[in-house]
Amino acid sequence: MAESPQNAESVHYVEIDEALCNGCVLCMKVCPTKAIRVKNHQVARIEGVCINCGECVRVCPNGAAKAVVTESEIKEGQYSVVNASTPLYAQFGEEVMPNDVLLGLKRMGFDYVHDQSYTNEIFSVALELYFIGNLKKLDARLPLISPVCPVVTRLIAYRFPSLLKHIPPLVPPREIVAREAKKRLSAKHGFKQEEVKVLHITPCPAKMISIKEPMLSGSSYLDGAIGINNIYDCLKDSIQKVDEDIVLHHSGGVGLGWAMCGGETAGLDMNCLAISGLQETICYLEKMEMGLLKDIDYVEFRVCLEGCIGGPFTVVDKYQAKQHLQKFIRMFGVEKRVKRQYVQKLYEKGWFFIEKKPIPLKDKPPQLSVSESIKRQNRVEEIVKLLPMSECGACGSPDCRTFAEDVVDGEASLESCIYWDGKK
Amino acid sequence: MSNLTKSFNVKPRDFVGAGEASIKVQEVLKAVGFEEDLIRRTSVCAYEAEMNIVMYGGDGNISLNIDPEKITLNITDDGPGIENIEMSLVEGYTTSSAKYQEMGFGAGMGLPNIKNNSDSLEINSQKDKGTHLKIRFKVKG
Repeated sequence: MAESPQNAESVHYVEIDEALCNGCVLCMKVCPTKAIRVKNHQVARIEGVCINCGECVRVCPNGAAKAVVTESEIKEGQYSVVNASTPLYAQFGEEVMPNDVLLGLKRMGFDYVHDQSYTNEIFSVALELYFIGNLKKLDARLPLISPVCPVVTRLIAYRFPSLLKHIPPLVPPREIVAREAKKRLSAKHGFKQEEVKVLHITPCPAKMISIKEPMLSGSSYLDGAIGINNIYDCLKDSIQKVDEDIVLHHSGGVGLGWAMCGGETAGLDMNCLAISGLQETICYLEKMEMGLLKDIDYVEFRVCLEGCIGGPFTVVDKYQAKQHLQKFIRMFGVEKRVKRQYVQKLYEKGWFFIEKKPIPLKDKPPQLSVSESIKRQNRVEEIVKLLPMSECGACGSPDCRTFAEDVVDGEASLESCIYWDGKK
Repeated sequence: MSNLTKSFNVKPRDFVGAGEASIKVQEVLKAVGFEEDLIRRTSVCAYEAEMNIVMYGGDGNISLNIDPEKITLNITDDGPGIENIEMSLVEGYTTSSAKYQEMGFGAGMGLPNIKNNSDSLEINSQKDKGTHLKIRFKVKG
């Protein structure tokens, strides 16, 4: 490998740097799983289930909440593959074409560079085949929910488990890329499958958790993820020095559009909705759980505003990125470039199906019987009555009700409420 | 105490706040930790009943009562009442205006949906005196 991308292979988890945290409550307030506590005005700690949405990273004014980066190398004698996720193409302005970005990656020393946008188009066709093939059986599972955003699948597993059955049993494109790369490139170049290392260039920290603990496959085929921001300078420099002229980019505008909200659904011949942003996603999941949106076939949820171009690891402003992508889409056209019959064959071979069903993620309430749980809730209600409902967060819990739950569970004391006057 | 009671008010014609009471019902059920399908069925019923109040009813209330054996929703409003209870349970039968249908409501599925998703439904309604729905769900295990 020429200029070494080894150090770029990295693992991301959200972590709070205690040296930088000043104990403000912003991250605790935005956390959708109420996983963060700021005890005694000291530092924020992640205590509950983290779904890696990155909201704390975005909101932290001190740079204390960050995605953990641990480095591991591609060793001598291994075959390195990099998968370029679509938002990467939108980071270098309108003049730098997707193919230039891929050539830039190749020049950096990766043995093989894959354009994920092409696999996105294959996935769109597979999804249509699944929908048409199962139309009669799907009734209670409509609308289907896109399996692509790993934060959404975790959010559903944690807060909306009754909606898990709405996620079609299809493997997201990034995993298909990795699986096939290992299979084909190992055979072609005489490596063992485990010697082919596939890295995903990601706009979000959530891809890493989906690699370590995948919801939809037994284990991930990807070996690691590199944040776009991590590779940006190196790649930009490499793009400027590209002197090769081969075609690595194969998708049309449909596959490219996936990086932004509405891009996945734009390529589908179905009745769709596309929703982005964490709060909107939660709001529409609540609606779905109440039986709404039954007349819709498919919902694309992206937890980042405007889709993956709004991911925490992107470099370019999301609206600018959208502008660049729209220009590319006009340029490459809105026809899918994959052949339907080709995808149909792969579909019949079982190429797209997941290995395991997603299961609910649970932490609280602790596993109580219904009558114990009712008792617990009644105690919570009693404590709520003592609280000001000011939702200030000064106690160290995200809101008054959660504080009451923490008190009942013995994780906080009533004295931590700055408004509580000591009367019981 | 082996039961838990919560009560939420619903305002007629308040389409902005519509659905909030059902979301609160859903939150309580999740906090207790019922199994997913029971939460879903109860939420669907709460939402349908809430929308009925918003569209047709008067000042209303959703009261949720949970005990180890069952979940009960008592839904009351002081609106015009249901003229033909039997017909209101037929799928597709509706008295709603064209305006509501344009908004995507009033498909005549409200009460049938409640009946299908609950374990028992009692309707008490008198013309000009309002409506009382008692919806019950069995808790398994």
